[in-house]
Amino acid sequence: MSVKVEVIEGGVPHNNILAAGLVSTLVCLYLTYLNVLTSTQMFSFFGGLAVVAALVWGSHTIKVLCSYGIGTGVPSAGMIAFGSGVIAMLLATKFGMLAPVVALVLAVVIGLILGYVSNNILNMKIPAMVQALTEMAVVGALSLMGFAALMTGSFTFAGLTNGSTSVMGMILANHEMSFMVGGLAVAFLLGALAIQHPFNATLGPGWKQDRMLMLAAECGFLSMVVAAIMSFALISTGSALISLIIAIIGWAYTYQQYMELSKRDAAAWLNAKPIPDVEGH
Amino acid sequence: MVANIIFGIGITALAGALATVAGSSEDTESNIGSQGDPNSQVQLAPQMGFLHRIFNKAVAGEPPAYGLWCCLGAGLAWAFMAMQINPVLAIVLGSVLATFVQGVYATTAYVGRTASLAKFGQPVYVDILKSMTSVTMAHAFIAIFCTVTLCHLINTALGHPFPLPLLGLIWGIALGAAGSATGNPYYGKERQYQNQKFGAGVPISASGNIVRYAEAGERNSLDNGFFTHKIGGSASGICFGLIVFLELWRTILFEQVGAGWGAIIVGVLIILIFTVIDRYIEVWARKNYGPYTEVKEVSS
Repeated sequence: MSVKVEVIEGGVPHNNILAAGLVSTLVCLYLTYLNVLTSTQMFSFFGGLAVVAALVWGSHTIKVLCSYGIGTGVPSAGMIAFGSGVIAMLLATKFGMLAPVVALVLAVVIGLILGYVSNNILNMKIPAMVQALTEMAVVGALSLMGFAALMTGSFTFAGLTNGSTSVMGMILANHEMSFMVGGLAVAFLLGALAIQHPFNATLGPGWKQDRMLMLAAECGFLSMVVAAIMSFALISTGSALISLIIAIIGWAYTYQQYMELSKRDAAAWLNAKPIPDVEGH
Repeated sequence: MVANIIFGIGITALAGALATVAGSSEDTESNIGSQGDPNSQVQLAPQMGFLHRIFNKAVAGEPPAYGLWCCLGAGLAWAFMAMQINPVLAIVLGSVLATFVQGVYATTAYVGRTASLAKFGQPVYVDILKSMTSVTMAHAFIAIFCTVTLCHLINTALGHPFPLPLLGLIWGIALGAAGSATGNPYYGKERQYQNQKFGAGVPISASGNIVRYAEAGERNSLDNGFFTHKIGGSASGICFGLIVFLELWRTILFEQVGAGWGAIIVGVLIILIFTVIDRYIEVWARKNYGPYTEVKEVSS
């Protein structure tokens, strides 16, 4: 059964968000390549911005999909986004500089297959399913790549599997200290919860697009804060500090804005007041 | 060899004890936040005209949410240890930061869900936001800290091959699942519907009519945490403690038997024994409590 329970009224159309999200994510991912060109790690923070852009887009995709009664909770959508995205992302890292584009193409293929399976084989017959699953696989793959770039300064396989530890001032190669060992699981869940939370937390009759998208940006920056703290172990201190400062500023601004928007939409904003009287109860 | 096993059993006991504390704390945290299965009724109540002062912290189901908190705590601890910080301090710092993320998610969830219910007149209570969030964060810290510590023990003392963040993910999801399956029904089916007949289930006419008033004044989620911690929290703690303890116990003692097959066979045996115990308790409870027998007498 696929009954559409809500429609998107007003606000920015989904296709605009899709286009803007895709372009800005890819641009931000490629801006981290400045690290290679300038032989520094200072531009790693663009990976975090790519995550924020992808999550804003992905949360709206979830809104489009979950407007239909899909029969599962909203969080499951976040899990499938990153579950399908991680395959594309890992495979794509082998392609060097082309990695983001290859991840995009692979994720589209994986998403289309998953969409076909759910709509035609499992017979869910939800109109938005194929496009939404495709978009979510892309969002998952690109966000994971963004986290990788943020934490290690690189999105290539070699950069993600090589790590180093400094023992008594000497730098030693140590694969135990690489993104694939320590960062991937954290990036997966950080993204999977951040992508589903905006719609899950604002659903209801009073849903507003701007409030949800602001929350998506807030979740993205919050994930970036902790990922930037983890990046201290993997990239130079100065570069990690730049990421951390940008993340904290972004998070504080979006959190404050989200609270303002919630205050605007709430029925009342009370402090230590009793339950209001409602007629008939 | 024997010394190894004795050392392993000691670590197993310690991990089981940590898991018991974590499970108990996790269930209380999720009940104060109305997370998981009781959440639907808290969300529904204002739509049925029952405005309330209950905290509505819908982040996700508990397993994914605790998967993230514990994985994040473990990941940050891993990163801090990579920076040559002492493990005890690294685990504490990692858990503190993970708790911060949990608190931020909790506030945005409560404010967002409540603002979306504006049509039904449900207000956002700032005092609820302040007092409940800090209490859930305190409980979440205990749960995350204990889980990350037991993962660290499994990793370093027992030599588990998985890296710390991955262990955090696995045991975090297990912790959330234990609390969600064991403790939540006590809040969702019993505490929220204390005004209904015991064991009657929730009739559709009573949907959303959750308990909102206390002996004196209005109830908030701290009362719910206080109530459910006594039985629901303890049961969740025992559940997660037993899961961790038995899992490690069978691995330590029987891993050498039959090239690893010994541990698998013992695992299957444990599942069978628990299935029998569960079935016995269910039948016993149905016979002794609830309206099941009364209904039979009326119809016959």
